[in-house]
Amino acid sequence: MDLSLLIGQAVVNGLVVGLLYLLMAVGFTLVFGVMRIVNFAHAEFYMLGAFVTFICVTRFELPFLPSVALTLVIAVLVGWVIEWAVLKPFRHDELNGMIATIGLAMILQNGALMLFGPDPQSMPSVATGVLRLGDLLVPNSRVYVVLCSAAVLLAMWLFLRYSRTGRALRAVVQDIEIAQIQGIKARLIYPLGFGLGVGLAAVAGGLMAPLFSVSPFIGAGPMLKAFIVVILGGLGSIPGAALASLLLGITESVAGTFLSTSTADILIFALVIGMLVVRPSGLLGRPE
Amino acid sequence: MTLLKPLALAALIAFSSAPFAQETLKIGALVTLSGAGAAWGTGMQHAAELAADDVNAKGGLDVGGKKYKVQVIAYDDKYQANEAVTVANRLVYDDKVKYIIGPVGSAPVLAIQPITEKNQVVVMTLGFTAKALGTDKLYTFRPNVTTAEVAGPQIEWVVKTRNVKRVGALFPNDETGQQIAKDLTTAYGKVGADLAAKEFFERDRVDFVPLITRILAAKVDAIELDGNSPSTAGLITKQARELGFTGTIIRTGGPATQDIVNVAGKQATEGLLVHTPIDPKLPSTAAYAQAYAAKYKRAMNGFSPAFYDGTHLLFEAMRKAGTVSDTAKVVAELEKIKGHKGALGESSWTGKAAYGVDHQLDAPFYVAEVKDGQEVIRARCTASGCK
Repeated sequence: MDLSLLIGQAVVNGLVVGLLYLLMAVGFTLVFGVMRIVNFAHAEFYMLGAFVTFICVTRFELPFLPSVALTLVIAVLVGWVIEWAVLKPFRHDELNGMIATIGLAMILQNGALMLFGPDPQSMPSVATGVLRLGDLLVPNSRVYVVLCSAAVLLAMWLFLRYSRTGRALRAVVQDIEIAQIQGIKARLIYPLGFGLGVGLAAVAGGLMAPLFSVSPFIGAGPMLKAFIVVILGGLGSIPGAALASLLLGITESVAGTFLSTSTADILIFALVIGMLVVRPSGLLGRPE
Repeated sequence: MTLLKPLALAALIAFSSAPFAQETLKIGALVTLSGAGAAWGTGMQHAAELAADDVNAKGGLDVGGKKYKVQVIAYDDKYQANEAVTVANRLVYDDKVKYIIGPVGSAPVLAIQPITEKNQVVVMTLGFTAKALGTDKLYTFRPNVTTAEVAGPQIEWVVKTRNVKRVGALFPNDETGQQIAKDLTTAYGKVGADLAAKEFFERDRVDFVPLITRILAAKVDAIELDGNSPSTAGLITKQARELGFTGTIIRTGGPATQDIVNVAGKQATEGLLVHTPIDPKLPSTAAYAQAYAAKYKRAMNGFSPAFYDGTHLLFEAMRKAGTVSDTAKVVAELEKIKGHKGALGESSWTGKAAYGVDHQLDAPFYVAEVKDGQEVIRARCTASGCK
């Protein structure tokens, strides 16, 4: 494999992974934007989404896409209920909200451990074979998952941009008081925002399940990456998250391919520290 | 009269309980119960529990005329040295255990040894590092064979029968991975093959596409999975096949077949050449697998029988030493045991030449090929070679 081909392969790999990080990060940043809560249970919702899709596909033998759609619906409802039952007292209370989500994460992870056991399980690949772009190789399973991720992100963007509810949600993110004065019912927007955030994490888990494996501990890695993405992009900024996801994915892949994965991790953290020094609000975040 | 009643009651209790007095013997299971190594750790914890069930079902462990009810106390070390130290302190100083099953990893066992050796706590580790055993570590035993024992014979067989020339490998970037990388480089080099591409990564990694891309760029005809946890080995297999790799995939050390198949699927694992420490057709192994499945409702991990035997070896040594508290005497008896008949068949201790002490299990092992998700034994091996 010559150098230019290896570079091309690394960039393609990075774009694929970056899009996957984005899906995770958008849900995370949406919850922060609406509620001003850093949701430490985001990883567990990713894990639960993977399990729901896994169960739909392997136990109930549903096709993959309807399984992911069902995962989204279940997750949004679960997120709605959790926001109403657990997080309601902590809206805009960063410290106690954070502690509540850490507790929630522990309950969810240990609950999954009791229900499903520690052994990783696998879902069949959604597609076989390799897509050849010239001499570049991309596994078809990744192409499929990337297209699904892009479709979910596009749907989310259209919803936030053009629907009445989506605009209300964005108004709450921008300024809760003004939004309420305009007649937006925050009591409905909070659970919806949290539900959508949870739904995106769960869909990310469901879409990743055929690429990786499913176990109660799968959320930690993507969660760390999502956290890095939202810091780099700017907390609460969805375009910032998009930019940062692709930057992170490509940096990780190119550095991982040409140097080593450990060096790639060091580079990424250097990037984050550098960003925090130069621009504390992130790439496209607004200053507090 | 007022004193008589309580005194009579106390005497009655003392008298009635004396013939049935049963003490508790606590065995620590310092194992990995979460994350990538959980399959190994759970298998070891369950092995100790099943061995404890065996003796408890007979009324307890009979040592020096006393009956001990065996209790297994399990803690999670999360495959991390610092967590292992915390747990070891808890087991040794709070729970007062004198026997530990575990830890799973090399870094954790090296980290806890200053505590266990100083307190004369007998350790049955899975840690593959050569540094785990030695003349300065008289209380540590390893009831499973490691890469050092299996790599030479298995690799020689694979290279000769499958015409493997250039091999790529991915290793976790820790003590276990570094040690196994060294052992494999030597083992492949000795039989004329080349471990041409080596990649190291952090254990929590799940996306191996960049690393596999590098390995494929080195034009390897085989990928070696030794040193990786079962789930990681499964992910590497799956992603290598997705990238179009059609060459041989080899798992030289550490049983992980079922988990690799679970993660990668039957199609990706067809033809995989694996090390297995067990012959599932051996009656004693099959009986253990059946007992394990009956109690825990899942298939056993391949390391589990070794730790079931290891726990029984400890019990036998305690019986022979006539004490559970004087671990120096127990260790002396443990070293002497030969031809123990357990789940693995007959096993004894070896290791004097390699480690200076006979604290390494000597048992046969096998090379198998995966066919339709199942191991089919292709060669029976000992340290001197495979047939």
